[in-house]
Amino acid sequence: MSKVKEALFDPIFKNNPIAVQVLGICSVLAVTSKLETTVTMCLAVIFVVTLSNLSISLIRNHIPSSIRMIVQMTIIASLVILVDQFLKAYAYEISKQLSVFVGLIITNCIIMGRAEAYAMKNGPWLSMLDGLGNGIGYSIVLLAVGFVRELLGSGKLLGYVVLPLTIDGGWYPANGLLLLSPSAFFLIGFFIWGLRTWKTELVEKEN
Amino acid sequence: MHNDTIGKTVGVAAAVCVICSIFVSGAAVYLKPIQEANKTLDVKRNILIAAGLLEEGGKTDVGELFEQIDSAVVDLATGEFVDDIAAEDFDPRRAAKDPTQSVAIDAGDDIAGIKRRSNYRVVYFLKDGEKIKRIILPVYGKGLWSTMYGLLALDADMTTIKSFGFYEHAETPGLGGEIDNTAWKALWTGKIALDADRQPAVRVIRGHVDKNSPEAVHQVDGLSGATITGRGVENLVRFWLGREGYGPLLKKLSM
Amino acid sequence: MKPLRYILDRLEPYFAKGNKLEKLYPVYEVIDTFFYTPGGTAEEPCHVRDAIDFKRMMSAVLVALIPCVVMAMYNTGLQANTAMAEMGISEVPGWRGMVLSWTGVGCDASNVWADLLHGALYFVPIYIVCMVVGILWEMLFAVVRNHEINEGFFVTGLLFPLTLPATIPLWQVAVGITFGVVLGKEVFGGTGRNFLNPALTARAFLFFAYPAQISGDAVWTAVDGFSGATALGVAAGGGMAAVTEQLSWLQAFVGTMQGSMGETSTAACLIGAVLLLLFGVASWRIMASMLIGAMALAGLFFAAGSTTNPMFTMPPHWHLVLGGFAFGLVFMATDPVSASMTNLGQYIYGGLIGAMVILVRVVNPAFPEGTMLAILFGNVFAPLIDYYVVRANIKRRALRHA
Repeated sequence: MSKVKEALFDPIFKNNPIAVQVLGICSVLAVTSKLETTVTMCLAVIFVVTLSNLSISLIRNHIPSSIRMIVQMTIIASLVILVDQFLKAYAYEISKQLSVFVGLIITNCIIMGRAEAYAMKNGPWLSMLDGLGNGIGYSIVLLAVGFVRELLGSGKLLGYVVLPLTIDGGWYPANGLLLLSPSAFFLIGFFIWGLRTWKTELVEKEN
Repeated sequence: MHNDTIGKTVGVAAAVCVICSIFVSGAAVYLKPIQEANKTLDVKRNILIAAGLLEEGGKTDVGELFEQIDSAVVDLATGEFVDDIAAEDFDPRRAAKDPTQSVAIDAGDDIAGIKRRSNYRVVYFLKDGEKIKRIILPVYGKGLWSTMYGLLALDADMTTIKSFGFYEHAETPGLGGEIDNTAWKALWTGKIALDADRQPAVRVIRGHVDKNSPEAVHQVDGLSGATITGRGVENLVRFWLGREGYGPLLKKLSM
Repeated sequence: MKPLRYILDRLEPYFAKGNKLEKLYPVYEVIDTFFYTPGGTAEEPCHVRDAIDFKRMMSAVLVALIPCVVMAMYNTGLQANTAMAEMGISEVPGWRGMVLSWTGVGCDASNVWADLLHGALYFVPIYIVCMVVGILWEMLFAVVRNHEINEGFFVTGLLFPLTLPATIPLWQVAVGITFGVVLGKEVFGGTGRNFLNPALTARAFLFFAYPAQISGDAVWTAVDGFSGATALGVAAGGGMAAVTEQLSWLQAFVGTMQGSMGETSTAACLIGAVLLLLFGVASWRIMASMLIGAMALAGLFFAAGSTTNPMFTMPPHWHLVLGGFAFGLVFMATDPVSASMTNLGQYIYGGLIGAMVILVRVVNPAFPEGTMLAILFGNVFAPLIDYYVVRANIKRRALRHA
């Protein structure tokens, strides 16, 4: 497989940041009770991780190793603030629901991890693709979790009623567990289970 | 040049900082007016919903509708309007924390669990000419997990509830969070908030209201599985309608 | 019994390796060993943790549960019949009413048989659904993973219904036990490898997923429209005075009050505890330390008192007989798979659970009952406790020989 394909497609399933590396799951718990916030969060993370990988790779040969973490952090933080300001201006309702979790993208281990592990060693084009791939890999898990949580937790998808709830006179009794953050743990667990059943090479050898 | 010399380290650090801050401050300055507008729009939208002028999620022009709403700053202790403070400039949340602008509430009276309340509050009116059609009172208090912020709208008689709803809270989704349920909010409409002596009389009861009971006009069904949130709602309404809250104002206006 | 052996032997080739029904061998195996002593012997060095085998241990627990089951049915019927008399209802609606009128025992609360039958009409369907769905999952996993079906489920399948209110919808029983068996046990590799008690996992799932059907006021008595809180719920609202108004300690001890079906009777749990200890299958260390942990903290709260929290007024001996404390102590916390293994570890584990039960009951405003959450919490900590106990032992011995 060519390096380009590898950089872009590996993180989607084979080396998925959440399901295989189990990084950055904090935001999965926090923002996935509704699909709308989930989608926004995914776009924000894709934006930040792609551009942070690109810009860090561009200057990678000039970053002094003694301050490299701080430089990475500064760039990531700036990108996150940009996203946050943008959402507050143009998607106020959603940014209110996401509250601090947009800002917390700064601490999302995936972004710092990709910068340090990939962008510092590879060229801008590949780094950008790697960032994009990781962003998409992150998003796939998030969207899957958000889909199940909104559908079974409140009977809706993107705010539209799919399963009419009993409390509103329908037939579907809402599953309250899925409205609580810990339920995302179970769903990520199911996702990992499924992924490892599908891609058996991910299962560690018994020692 | 080697990357790890002091000169280069300082240089790179400075360059990164300058470039990043240009982006960040540029965005902040450019987007600030839009963000501020969003914030005020959000407040206005909630008030319009309480006033019954706007459907929830409605996309009508909020600015135009809001021209029908008057606002005023009230001195809670006396119930008098205060003219020298503009309603737009008054920040009740900050005032409630500032010891010079707020008073501590006795533990016995503090049923809403808010500890201090600001001396002044902004209230909103929907008027028909000079006559008040509806008054909208911002209220808040402790639920099970969070402080719940809501707007309570009363009719011209200053005691019949026209609408009641919360715009900010973090109660358990599916249980206490059902205070956002439209069906439950609708139960408040038409309830009589004060008794004959103009004391707060609203109760959130367990189970269903017995329609034949003489107390039914003051009672609202509790939310199943959310006893403490329900009690919190009851308490905050009683607090804000009582003598520590808008009681003096309502008394004046009803005369 | 001979003909049965003959049939089983005739069938065996079909299930043997390489034959048509090879995949279903676990199903055949479980039927065979259910009736006959297994023919297999251990081929690898096995790790003996106890002298008795798994099957016998499970049977002992089932026997110890009999008093609880009987009390569950009696009390469910008693509560329903009493409530019906209070509300002036004489007919039970639906198929239950048909069965009741067919047998002719009626709905007289003072008639023990009428209560037992009425309660059984609630308990038995829940039990059947739980067993059928649970065993289906067990079989599916056994077939896919090609291992034997384990009898552990017989205990889980009886414990779980006992922790439910009589009015629980049957589909929720099915969803709950599915969650318990799959996520509480099978994902970790099946019986013996689970770190949580599957029955409690199932109940916790229902508790958070469908709180309206498993908590609150309307669910405890199986009569439509009857509303009444459990004793703990009453105490959380109005303190001890409100409880003693409707309930005496002795009544609570016997268990004629509202609550989940199997948990109300401390007396039945006590008989179960004696049986378990006689059979030697449950750890007395866990039981004793959980009791002491709870008593100590409850006593502390009771002595400290509080002006705002009515739960502080509940004396320690009341905590014992209300809610699921006794049932959890005897049957859930002592589950050998999910509890601590080491002797010292068992003391710490039990004490931790006991204290947590009281902490949740008294201090947490959202949950009047804390036994389920406390035991699950203890389950999570059990391996860690064992780890440190073992480490401490190793260290001590190393020092001795240094």
